Amino acid sequence: MLAEEIFHMSNSIDFLELEGKMKQSKDPFEVAFEESSPPDSPVEEIVGGQIEDEDDANVNVHPTSTPSAAPSSGTTVPPTAKSKDEDEEEEEENMDVELGKLPTSGDPHKMAKMQAILSQFTEEQMSRYESFRRSGFQKANMKKLLVSITGSQKISAPMTIVASGIAKMFVGELVETARMVMTERKETGPIRPCHIREAYRRLKLEGKVPRRSVSRLFR
Amino acid sequence: MNSSSAGPSSKPRAGSSQPSDSSFKRKRGVFQKDLQHMMYGFGDDANTSWTALLSAGFLSKQSSHPLPETVALLEDIVVEYVTDLVHKAQETASKRGKLLTEDFLFLMRKDLPKLNRCTELLSMNEELKQARKAFDVDEEKLATME
Repeated sequence: MLAEEIFHMSNSIDFLELEGKMKQSKDPFEVAFEESSPPDSPVEEIVGGQIEDEDDANVNVHPTSTPSAAPSSGTTVPPTAKSKDEDEEEEEENMDVELGKLPTSGDPHKMAKMQAILSQFTEEQMSRYESFRRSGFQKANMKKLLVSITGSQKISAPMTIVASGIAKMFVGELVETARMVMTERKETGPIRPCHIREAYRRLKLEGKVPRRSVSRLFR
Repeated sequence: MNSSSAGPSSKPRAGSSQPSDSSFKRKRGVFQKDLQHMMYGFGDDANTSWTALLSAGFLSKQSSHPLPETVALLEDIVVEYVTDLVHKAQETASKRGKLLTEDFLFLMRKDLPKLNRCTELLSMNEELKQARKAFDVDEEKLATME
């Protein structure tokens, strides 16, 4: 059960957001979920994320900006993936932790909804969702980057975690906005750099990209 | 447009064969694998590393994958984003002298989803730490008992 718990925890980071910690920022995905699923399936799996000290691919990001219709495109759907054997093996290293209580057990309502959504996933949606939850920046790489930026050798683990989380959400915003750009231009296929650039430009206009007060002179 | 012109880049492009110990040279493709999975998760087309699995018959999918130039561009953008973020955080932290996670949270104050996500991640980290501590204590007890 320990293994499962850890696995679930590590894969349900995003769940918390949907469950209630994000109540104040009801974003389009949440709305779409609530509309599309009947509110009654307890998602006991959702334990709320975990930030392990290992390089774990699950510093998760809740899709923030674009209202890209979640029902039609099976793309970014946050509900937790059920335990797959391959995943459990990957999570082995994180399974030395005993979990006290499940943080998200306080909102069975949302969990239920999640479960309902999850159960209706097609294979492609499920694999995409799994990718979504499990992907993340390697902690070691992020730490190296932070060290090189700050110049200081001491970067705490939580800082790496936060930076990875923020970066992942940013990537999510970019990719989703790029997809929106593509639908506006009525293009299909893989996302191309021009879409990303346009998405980046739009995010800049929205103010979601930190701008330096002093322009970079020597790049 | 070749891939090397992808996006803004603040550091000279180092070949991937060069050692990464120097802090001024940035290896290309540091986040490449992670980004590929992430892009797929967020809505890009099927991933190269997945297509192998898929062609083995696990799932049926289209065979396109995220373009390498797109991944490279994203990596550049993300690195620049994190850099600017950290610099801004350092500005707020300069009075204190140390860079703390609170500085990042302060920066994210306007962006609610990110802010909530960060607090969630941090609280979960704390929980895990506690759980690990408790587990270690139990293990010790078991060890001493035997």
